[in-house]
Amino acid sequence: MVTKPIEGEKRAFMTGNEVVAWAALAAGADIMYGYPITPQNEIMHYWIRLAPKYDKNFLQTEDEISAGFTCVGGVMAGKKAFTATAGPGNILMQESMTMAEMMRIPTVLVVCQRGGPSTATVIYSQQEVTLTCFGGNGEGFRIVYSTSGQQDLFDYTIKAFNTAWKYRFPTFVLGDGYQAKMRESVTIYDPEVRGIKMIEPEPFVGKAGMPALDRDPAHYRNTYNLEEELYEVVTAMAKEFEQIAPELVEYQEFETEDCEVLILAHGVVSRAVRGAVEALRAQGIKAGHFRPITLRPFPAEQLKQTVQKAKKVLVVESAVGQLEKIIKQSTYGVTTPMTNYFRPGEGITVEEVVEEVVEEVKKLV
Amino acid sequence: MSKYVKIALAGEGGQGVQSVAAIITEAAYDDGYEALYIPNFGVEQRGGVSVAYVQISDTAIGSPKFKTADIVIALSDRAVRRTTRYVGPQTVFVYDDNIRNIENDLPQNAAKVLPIPALKIAKQELHPRVFNIVIMGAVIAATRVVDLDKAKAAIEKKLGYKFEQYPELREMNFKALERGFELVQDKL
Repeated sequence: MVTKPIEGEKRAFMTGNEVVAWAALAAGADIMYGYPITPQNEIMHYWIRLAPKYDKNFLQTEDEISAGFTCVGGVMAGKKAFTATAGPGNILMQESMTMAEMMRIPTVLVVCQRGGPSTATVIYSQQEVTLTCFGGNGEGFRIVYSTSGQQDLFDYTIKAFNTAWKYRFPTFVLGDGYQAKMRESVTIYDPEVRGIKMIEPEPFVGKAGMPALDRDPAHYRNTYNLEEELYEVVTAMAKEFEQIAPELVEYQEFETEDCEVLILAHGVVSRAVRGAVEALRAQGIKAGHFRPITLRPFPAEQLKQTVQKAKKVLVVESAVGQLEKIIKQSTYGVTTPMTNYFRPGEGITVEEVVEEVVEEVKKLV
Repeated sequence: MSKYVKIALAGEGGQGVQSVAAIITEAAYDDGYEALYIPNFGVEQRGGVSVAYVQISDTAIGSPKFKTADIVIALSDRAVRRTTRYVGPQTVFVYDDNIRNIENDLPQNAAKVLPIPALKIAKQELHPRVFNIVIMGAVIAATRVVDLDKAKAAIEKKLGYKFEQYPELREMNFKALERGFELVQDKL
């Protein structure tokens, strides 16, 4: 049996769903728990095709509620488990992910955003930002990476496993239907060749020795009887989340040094914005782009500084203000005027961002 | 010379536009280009307009969707109506001349509007099932993103397992590709 799914580095031409399956294998995932939903189906399909070759497992559950909870259970049993979903499935998985949040179980969930609300379209949107960052009852203590294409999907799926196991907060890779279904080139690699050491999973329950004598008892609670008890637990968690946030936040800036119009976008839309910045610069308009990669925790301090330098801010997203909400909260107190370009459920092109910015610049003069 | 071609290919679900897009982008990637292909369709298994967005470039490609295509190919009445929004003054608009009642819906602002008898040729000279390969030949002639040999190699890669069982299919597919190519090559 072949043990390494990827030897060294390789160029490939793949869909995002295929990339995720390869990345999970490269990251040493043991099992996927899954339930089919478009546009995420092929993560399961590719995983099922690849898994037996590398002695990995798969369980198709009866629905997403069950996929989420079996994933939590698999991790507790010591497996590096993951799952993937989209849209209505993401809603159903929130219950298990809040359980993971409370019990500090390192789950990895890949989301391929589709249109919403409800069944909506099976194609694409950026409308699962609020749900993925803050879904479920509780405070949304979780880590969310927003990817922009095949390379990100590979890099951040691998990273998500280490982040989850290191910090023990549920970790999400937030892709979308475009990335899931599109084909483009990508470099896949064995994490070791890039000096990435994968954290080995360990069981949460059923450990060797006698509880209380040889080791602490394995006692993971998601129920608290007293409000004071819950207050203590959640406050401690909030404090810890705040402390680790600076280590976790990731973002990219393009041409922001001298920029007058700052364009904010995340995920796949960031690619259109980058193209627009180039086109606008060629026209003599000083545009720049800030792309948050972690949406939770959010690179608030860094964004605040960049926003302060600009004369105008434009938020571009394939949703009605789900990113904008986070941005406004993060830049509270900054007075740079902010406007938006929302295309819920629709892809955004370079040309329309350019057009929008040109209009905004006219208003500035 | 830098190359950057944007193609929107649309038809009814089941007509094979997605397979064509997949084969073309694969061929371009194998030829050393950056390629990006994204399918777009509704929840139906069959029927419903199915659009393939293809971009081929010698540098990294940005957003998966674009506003204006260099070439638009529409294979049904609904596809014609749906894709005129991707037409600009530089766009070549190709449609099957078998489509009825779209005279008033054809784009007015295209660089060229080109009806081709792809369905007729597939039905009369070849087999209806290679209709999409005729279209593939037309796309290649219109865009020159890959040459015919590279396209044949890509078809072989995708359908080789079928050709092994039925060698006559290879000839039929290659013939379809060449006929599609001929339909467009001298008309641009």
